[in-house]
Amino acid sequence: MAKLTIDDQEFEFPDGTSLFDACREARGEALPHFCYHPDLPVAGVCRLCQVEVEGMPKLTIACNTGVRDGMVVRTRSEKVTQAVQQILEMHLINHPVDCPICDQAGECGLQDQYMDFGLYESKVEMAAKVNKRKVKVIGPQVILDQERCVLCSRCVRFCQEVTGTGELGIFNRGDRAELDVAPGVELDNNYSLNTVDICPVGALTSRDFRFAKRVWMLKSARGVCPGCATGCNVRIDHEGGRVFRLKPLRNPQVNGSWMCDRGRMTYKAVHDERRLLQPVRDGKDLTWAEASGALAGMLQGRSPALVVIGPHASLEEMYLARDLADPAAVVSGPHDLDRGSGDDILLDGDRSPNRKGLASLGITELGAADLAARVGAAGGPVLVLGGDPGRDKTVAGALAQCANLIAIATHDGPTVQAAALALPGAAWAEKAGTFVNRQGRWQGFAQAVARPGAVRDVWRILAEIQALAHDGSGPQSLRAVRQDLVTSVLSEGELDMDRMPEQGYVPGGGEQ
Amino acid sequence: MKEYNILTSRFGRSDGHKLAVYEQEGGYQALRRVLGQGDPAAVRETVKEAGLRGRGGAGFPTGVKWGFVPQGAEEVYFFVNADESEPGTFKDRLLLDYDPHQTLEGTIISCFAVQAKLAFIYIRGEFGWLIDRVQAAVDEAYAAGYLGKNILGSGFDLEVIVHKGAGAYICGEETGLINSVEGRKGQPSIKPPFPAVAGFLGKPTIVNNVESVASVPWIINNGPQAYRAVGTEKSPGTKLFSVSGPVKKPGVYEIPLGLPFREFFNDWLGGMVEGEQLKAVIVGGSSVPVLPAAEVMNVNLDYESLQQAGTMLGSGGMIVIPESCDMVELIQVLMHFYYDESCGQCTPCREGTGWLHRIVKKLRRGEGTAEDLDLLAYVCNGMAGLTICPLADAAVMPMRSFLGKFRPEFEALIRETAVAGPQTRWPRGEQE
Repeated sequence: MAKLTIDDQEFEFPDGTSLFDACREARGEALPHFCYHPDLPVAGVCRLCQVEVEGMPKLTIACNTGVRDGMVVRTRSEKVTQAVQQILEMHLINHPVDCPICDQAGECGLQDQYMDFGLYESKVEMAAKVNKRKVKVIGPQVILDQERCVLCSRCVRFCQEVTGTGELGIFNRGDRAELDVAPGVELDNNYSLNTVDICPVGALTSRDFRFAKRVWMLKSARGVCPGCATGCNVRIDHEGGRVFRLKPLRNPQVNGSWMCDRGRMTYKAVHDERRLLQPVRDGKDLTWAEASGALAGMLQGRSPALVVIGPHASLEEMYLARDLADPAAVVSGPHDLDRGSGDDILLDGDRSPNRKGLASLGITELGAADLAARVGAAGGPVLVLGGDPGRDKTVAGALAQCANLIAIATHDGPTVQAAALALPGAAWAEKAGTFVNRQGRWQGFAQAVARPGAVRDVWRILAEIQALAHDGSGPQSLRAVRQDLVTSVLSEGELDMDRMPEQGYVPGGGEQ
Repeated sequence: MKEYNILTSRFGRSDGHKLAVYEQEGGYQALRRVLGQGDPAAVRETVKEAGLRGRGGAGFPTGVKWGFVPQGAEEVYFFVNADESEPGTFKDRLLLDYDPHQTLEGTIISCFAVQAKLAFIYIRGEFGWLIDRVQAAVDEAYAAGYLGKNILGSGFDLEVIVHKGAGAYICGEETGLINSVEGRKGQPSIKPPFPAVAGFLGKPTIVNNVESVASVPWIINNGPQAYRAVGTEKSPGTKLFSVSGPVKKPGVYEIPLGLPFREFFNDWLGGMVEGEQLKAVIVGGSSVPVLPAAEVMNVNLDYESLQQAGTMLGSGGMIVIPESCDMVELIQVLMHFYYDESCGQCTPCREGTGWLHRIVKKLRRGEGTAEDLDLLAYVCNGMAGLTICPLADAAVMPMRSFLGKFRPEFEALIRETAVAGPQTRWPRGEQE
């Protein structure tokens, strides 16, 4: 441990802590910076995180300095402030200040830090600025504006250190230095949009999000990417019932600061035109009252003969659905749906978010042939949720023969087409829930946007089925479901699922 | 006026670069002695005792630098920095041209001292002929058994690669040099770690200037005391000064450190050419503060005296400036140089060098105001000491000193152009 003084207060940090991180903790806010990033190697080029260390003749940058016992550090002295002001001014000399048409406006490092350290009086002639290329498409996801770039090299380091693809480089030197792709190369990897996230200014913008929304209009909710079993933590940025983008939330135990481009696009499915927005029976839209009547008629006071739960359901939904029927009548599958090839960065070959959830509730995944056989032999109502098993031809054949197929689904698809009754369930951004990722980590997500049309939260639909099947009342709130779930799967009071730890929860301890 | 030839005994000769000549005049005896004794620590100690200071510009004691290599390091690399690009400096190229074996012997001894098994001689790309000259010497040394496996039966192995730079001033900075050999963009790295701990390929690496390395064989042959007998106590030995400007005898001189400038100027350089008056001198390469004639006449040419006078010995690239020279024009040339050569990674240098250059050009265009002079000083404050490497300081030092010592010339230009209108003269090689 190192004891040091930061801005006249004493702190203790473990040896090896970066002075930058120590100052962030001590001040309650980060030092001004562009190039520092906790998950990238130190570059030390923006020169903004200057601090005064007693005994050192010059100011020093905190990001490349380790804490030392007895260090006396000042981060707000006049000398520091003046240096930061001037360096920030330097950053702006050749910056176009085209904020009104810049996508980054509102979440821009230059804007934000200028509010704190700006000199508010330009000493530069506008005509003297170095002009560089604007609106350069450098890959399928990313557009580059070289003039806005502050040459912090975060994106370059990302492509070198994280993806190892090295598409980006800083070419030329002096104030002619510019960010670009190497000749003949595109920024085309599955993680390219992370460069947009870590770009502190509007030099790299997302082609998907560009001009879609002013960022200050967006509201945010905490989510978990449903794209694969990794469960990257995300911020769901939304407004007016629409999700506009996903941004990774830092979780060192799961995804660091990153997420993949494929995962980022999962939000589009929420607003897909194939969304199921009304209950449907035999191709006809129903009201919920009609749907409830139909449901009662099909169940006739009994449990479903078979419950098929897919790996896209939340843990809460899985738990409720599992207990609707006799354990032997609850299965999942087919096993080889939603599989692809993964990589060793984040993307998992298992393209469903909650397959581990099935396992943690003891729900068996069957192969296609076995599942088809079970559906064929059900002899009563079959309830399908949390997936579209009908995408498998063998299973689809069996589902087509099933007279009383009830599907709770987000999208139209083979299962919905085969169903006698299809009920519109909330997509992941429209509900709260929990996914269990490939590590066995429980991670909660919050509802971001309102449910469209007649879409209902899935736990409510399941509660209604439970009430109909067992001639009584189902759970009254998601909180009640969660309390039951914890008591049943973990031990009572072990975890408050409404207040999930930020890094998630791994039952049985281990690495939290 | 006594002649010194610790470094320059073969200068000006047509055959001094040949191995046979070098050997005949006692060459490679120091290497034989060092390898015969087989004690690297003793070599380091000898050089430390001699007080040899780095001749590239910073003046850091060479033996001390060698001592920073962690004890017992398995893989150590050695670089001879021949990327001589400081404006006004042209000494290393003569050392390599006239006497490549001297530097090569120094390299082998230095490598033995730090136990490096691979050395690079990094030569500025513009020195095309030098690369051939040095490569020929290296080939001769391999053939004679001074390089390669088991040198002179000592069990010490060393390979030497002659590496051609690609033309960037910043690659003369040691971490920039290492990065460029590694195939990266030639720009300095943040320190710590210093190269002596983690340099080339992340391994301990020593980078020494040609002149420092070339001094080593003489020190071994004659002992540290003989070296200390020349120069001053804190600045022992001789130093090469490359002198340009309208003096009667410009060129490269080996002088004992501590020599009074007045004596050097009058007796060695022969004073100014007819019709020119001395106005100022940049003593140690374009990056050090300029001294007006009255001040420079009272300094001695050693590290301490020059520091006391507010400038630096630097690389020994001495630029003599006559009265007829326009100081604003001269600073424009220098500011263009630093603007052109800034690698661009650190913001204060990338933007500051461009800003300084634009303001000076504005003055020269005849559009300057008195506020611009304050702005120049202000920009300098935002650059000095705030960057990874000293290039920003290297631009600031001449700018500040020109402004400080020759402000009336700047003010006169502003006054005159306010009346007479814009100027049209531009320094050669530079366009608006």
